[in-house]
Amino acid sequence: MVASLARRFGDLDIAEEAAAEAFAAAVERWPADGVPPSPGAWLTTTANRKAFDRIRRENKRDGKQKEARLLYDDDPPEPMDAIDDGRLRLIFTCCHPALAMETRVALTLRMVGGLTVPEIARAFLVQEAAMGQRITRAKAKIKAARIPYRVPSAQDLPARVSGVLAVLFLVFNEGYLATGPATDPVRHDLTAEAIRLTRLIRALMPDDGEVAGLLALMLLTEARRTARVSASGELVTLDQQDRGTWDAALIAEGHGLVRERLADRATPGRYQILAAINAVHTSARDIRDTDWSQIVALYDQLTRLDPSPVIALNRAIAVAELDGPEAALAAVDRLEDKLAGYHAYHATRADLLRRLGRSQRSRAAYDKAIELAGNTAETAYLTRRRDQLG
Amino acid sequence: MQYLVSVIDDTTGLATPDEMAAIDTFNEGLKAEGRWVFAGGLGAPSSATVIDNRGGEAMVTDGPFLESKEYLAGFWIIEAADLDVALKLAAEGSKACNRKVEVRPFL
Repeated sequence: MVASLARRFGDLDIAEEAAAEAFAAAVERWPADGVPPSPGAWLTTTANRKAFDRIRRENKRDGKQKEARLLYDDDPPEPMDAIDDGRLRLIFTCCHPALAMETRVALTLRMVGGLTVPEIARAFLVQEAAMGQRITRAKAKIKAARIPYRVPSAQDLPARVSGVLAVLFLVFNEGYLATGPATDPVRHDLTAEAIRLTRLIRALMPDDGEVAGLLALMLLTEARRTARVSASGELVTLDQQDRGTWDAALIAEGHGLVRERLADRATPGRYQILAAINAVHTSARDIRDTDWSQIVALYDQLTRLDPSPVIALNRAIAVAELDGPEAALAAVDRLEDKLAGYHAYHATRADLLRRLGRSQRSRAAYDKAIELAGNTAETAYLTRRRDQLG
Repeated sequence: MQYLVSVIDDTTGLATPDEMAAIDTFNEGLKAEGRWVFAGGLGAPSSATVIDNRGGEAMVTDGPFLESKEYLAGFWIIEAADLDVALKLAAEGSKACNRKVEVRPFL
C-alpha cells in the first residue's frame, strides 16, 4: 500500500503517513462498525483521502496543482502484480547506492518491511531518536536529490542488484537471529518478507546466479526454522535438531536451485557457495551422514572469494568435525585479534574447549559469549551449556 | 532538475592537456544532449578573497573561507531528470577531468 501511494503521490512521507493513518482509522472503526466487505479497498480509499488531507493541510505551493492532477487520475484498484511492481521499485529506491549501507537496511525495513522505527532501532542496537533521524534524513535526501522510484534499466540492473541482495540478506539474518531481550528469537515476519522480496528479484532476473543462490540459501535456512528453537525458547544446534521437522518442500526447492546453479558451471559467488554448504547439511538425514570434507572444501572456495575472519570461524567449526577439536581450536585462536568482540567466536571456543575437557577455560569462554550474545534463544542455550560443565 | 557537479582536487596542478581534451569532449556531449547549463574551472584557493558585509562595513579577508586539503577546483551545472542520470554523467565527468566529483541537487 505504501508503494502504491508513493507512486501516486510521489512522496514517501505522505505515502507512509497516509497508510499509517488509514490503519489507525481501521483499528478505531472496525471493532465498532464491523469490518467492511472489502477491507483492502477500504484501506486504500481511506489512505488516499488521508493523503489528500495532508497535502491540503501542508498547503504546499504546488499542492493545489498536484491535487488537481491526482483527482483526475482515476486508476482502478491495482492488481497484484502492480503491487509487486510497486514494491520492487520501492526496494531499488531504498537500496540506492547514493545511500549509506546501514541507511539502506533501515529504510528497506521501514518502507518495504513495514517495521516501526523502535523495532528497527532495537534490531540494530541504536537509540530510537538516532534511527528516526537516520530514516528522516534518508527520505529527505531521496526527495531533494530525486533518487528515482523505479526498477533500473536492464544494463544497470546487475550492478544495482548486488546492493539489493546485501540488504535482503541482512533483513533475513536479523529475522533469523533477532536481537534484543524483548524480541522473539526468530522473527518469521522478517525472514518471510526477505524471502518474498528475493523471489520478486528472481522473477525480475531469473538467470542471475547470485539471486538464485541467495534465494536457495534463505529457503534452506528457513526450512530448519522451527527445529532451531525448542519449546522452552532455547537455541537447538544443528547436531541436536529433529531433522524430521525440517520443511521438506522448502528443502526440495532450495536443492533444486542449487542443482540449477551447479549445472550452469559459471564461477559461483558467495551466496551460491553458502547455499551449497546448506545443501550439504540438509542432504544429511543424520548429523553423522554429513559430508564434512565437502563442507570444508566449500569454505575453502568461499575463503578465496572473501578471506574474512567470520568465514574462517565457520570453516573451523567444520574442521572440528573432520580433523577434531584440537585442530579447530588452533584455527579459532588465530582469529582472536579480529573477533574478540563477536559472541560466536567465544561460543565456538567454549564448545571446542568443552569437548577437549578443559572445563575452566570453557566456562570463561561461555561467560564472554553470554555477555555478547543478543539473541534470547542463544543466551538460554549458552547458559545451559555453561551450567552443565563439570 | 539541475545538479551541481563539483570537482574536488587535492593537488595544485592545473588540468593536463590530455585532461583538458577529455573535458572538452565531455562538454560537447553534454551540449549535444541538452544537459549543459554551465561549467567552469576555478583559480587556486590562494586567489580567493572573503567578504563579510553583514555588519554594514565590508570586511575583506585574504584567502579561502576554509583551509582544507581538498578544495573546489571547478564545477558543472547539469540538467538531469533524476539522480541516476546525474550520477552517470558525473561518473563520466570524473573520468574526463581525472578528479573526484560531488553531486548535489539544486533546491
